[in-house]
Amino acid sequence: MRTARIPRSRKLGFSMIPMVDVVFLLIIFFLVSSHLARNENEELELPTAMSADQDEILDVPRVTINVRDDGQMILAGRILTREMLPARLTVAREQFGDEIEVRIRCSKQAPYSHVAPILLACTRSKIWNVTFAVYRTESGM
Amino acid sequence: MHRPNLFRSRDNDLDSMMTPMIDVVFLLLIFFIWTTSMAAIEYILPSQVSAQLGNQPANINDPPPEMDFQDVVVKIAWDGSDASWFINNVRFGSIDQVDEQLQSIAQVKLDAPVIVHPEKIVPVGLVIEVFDVAKLAGFSQVSFAVEHEPRE
Repeated sequence: MRTARIPRSRKLGFSMIPMVDVVFLLIIFFLVSSHLARNENEELELPTAMSADQDEILDVPRVTINVRDDGQMILAGRILTREMLPARLTVAREQFGDEIEVRIRCSKQAPYSHVAPILLACTRSKIWNVTFAVYRTESGM
Repeated sequence: MHRPNLFRSRDNDLDSMMTPMIDVVFLLLIFFIWTTSMAAIEYILPSQVSAQLGNQPANINDPPPEMDFQDVVVKIAWDGSDASWFINNVRFGSIDQVDEQLQSIAQVKLDAPVIVHPEKIVPVGLVIEVFDVAKLAGFSQVSFAVEHEPRE
């Protein structure tokens, strides 16, 4: 009786092409993700503070609100009106619970009247973890 | 006539293609790492929100009242170019004076709640400056005052 011959396996070798493919895919991934991250953070002239802390807690659910000079609020790359703000924060609070952080990235030239509604909406939505994004200065004012 | 052997030279061609590709990949990596490190690092300033109701403007003409250490209310006024600071309705001309005053209050009662209460038109940079000064003075309860608006 004839038995089927098991073909001799091909020699395994280190192939560069799939590795380069993976490297390119990783580069594209990081490019896209960094672009999206930049979209969340607008280019703003932030206030400075000496007592600022480093942003060490990374796994906290966070809502970042950018406030431009003219008071326009940007959330996740989209313009947010004052009327929409409480509802958006309430939804985020219900979704993520007590841990949620609201980060205000506000231009230092913007009047306080544009930040106060965000603080008020946070209190009404029972969000107590509110932080300001700042640049740290060593020399003070 | 001598014909080049395609099968024999294939590996060499592959090697010669791979080298510039890997060079480009490494250059891209170095470029992105470098540009990332050039971005300014942001820090965070944890804040508290106060359910503050007071919104009366500070009156400069009134005689300075005695300090009440229950709450330290720091009001900030802005005339479009210059700021004035009021700690419990006592006027201060510069942020350095505010700093000194807050430090002296902190020596008496460090656990006093400090409420930063700016006018609506005050730039946020100045508000954060006062908040920062209060934090540096050692106060643990520093919060922002917000005016209640009627609900729709």
